[in-house]
Amino acid sequence: MTPLPSLSPGMILAGAVTAAAASLWLLLPRGSENRIARRAGLVLGAAALAGFIVTGRRLGGLGEEAVFLVVSLVAVISGAATIVTRSPVYSAIWFALSLAGVAGVLLVLGAQFLGVATIVVYAGAILVMFLFVLMLAQPSGLAPYDRVSNEPLLSAVAGAVLLGLLSLSIGRLAADPTCCAAPARQPAAVTADAAATSDTLAVDQVARLGGELFGRHLLAVEVAGVLLLVALIGAIAVVARGEAALEDDRRLAAGGARR
Amino acid sequence: MNPLLAAASTALLHNALIVGAMLFALGLVGILTRRNLIVMFLCAELMLQGISVSLVAWSRHHGDFGGQVLVIFVLTVAACEAAVALVFVLQAFARTGRLDAAAWQGLREATLARTVDHALPASDASPPQWPRLSTAGVLPPGADHDSLEREHV
Repeated sequence: MTPLPSLSPGMILAGAVTAAAASLWLLLPRGSENRIARRAGLVLGAAALAGFIVTGRRLGGLGEEAVFLVVSLVAVISGAATIVTRSPVYSAIWFALSLAGVAGVLLVLGAQFLGVATIVVYAGAILVMFLFVLMLAQPSGLAPYDRVSNEPLLSAVAGAVLLGLLSLSIGRLAADPTCCAAPARQPAAVTADAAATSDTLAVDQVARLGGELFGRHLLAVEVAGVLLLVALIGAIAVVARGEAALEDDRRLAAGGARR
Repeated sequence: MNPLLAAASTALLHNALIVGAMLFALGLVGILTRRNLIVMFLCAELMLQGISVSLVAWSRHHGDFGGQVLVIFVLTVAACEAAVALVFVLQAFARTGRLDAAAWQGLREATLARTVDHALPASDASPPQWPRLSTAGVLPPGADHDSLEREHV
């Protein structure tokens, strides 16, 4: 059910992918700021998003559909703004907004713990670390390397081709009723309403996730804990050794200049 | 599972997978094209977000927790990666004074062309108007006021 009956979904998808590539190419930083190119890029980006919305499937309820649309638009638009913004600080802030959108998508998908963990761990801890480093290392003003990009045309085309192929295969996957049927439930879970709501949508979903994590995946949890410790020690070791190496470099350079 | 519910589940899976693919593609474009090391890491995190959305969508579709458990480990590895990578970025900054990936192009393959920056306009951004706050308290001794302020971010 598309508003333009003469266009097949495949053609809409191809148009949307092309518009996305052109929009990214126009919006990526390229030295000087050109207002006309910027507006054209925004219009093309909106067209690409509209194409993807039209080819998307209709969800069950209107409310669910509206919420999913809003949070996924927030995630994708802020994600695009992350890569086209010249200032890295604004980039990080757009990325935080994108994380909020992703958390919303995860909540719509029924992953309550992960939605909250994305906000707390990513936006609260990892992103703040990025901002600390940016504030330590970023010179005042826009650096020249923030105002140019490497091969914007080729990169935009590569990303759009990847997106087009992925959308194509996802569309074929979802159209095939036999490919991704849900596996048979446990016999105990098949009661009148437990058949409708699966394990991941139960009321005590977070408790069940914890049980799964510390039951079946206990060894992996331990390995992840060791990994965190190793990363911590490794980061400290790199700092400690790096300063010594930096001193050596300076001494070498000074010695070379004297000679 | 009745057919109507199965169709709705497949539609949600389809849409969420598309959103994940879009986030992944955006992160890919960013990591290919941006030159600021920190923005490149942000783009890598954006790709991880796309993967997380896809994994949770499959988890919802199949009704088991495998995808969500994987996303928890993705979060863990992303935290480790950010810690170690930011240390490397800071060390690189201490050596070159720039957050530019092209500052390290001496490490490229011998057959690749050198990245050359052509002349750029000095700065085309109009200076932003920050709000002026009234002074509260006293300045700490020895603080050079002007050097602490940023004109741009």
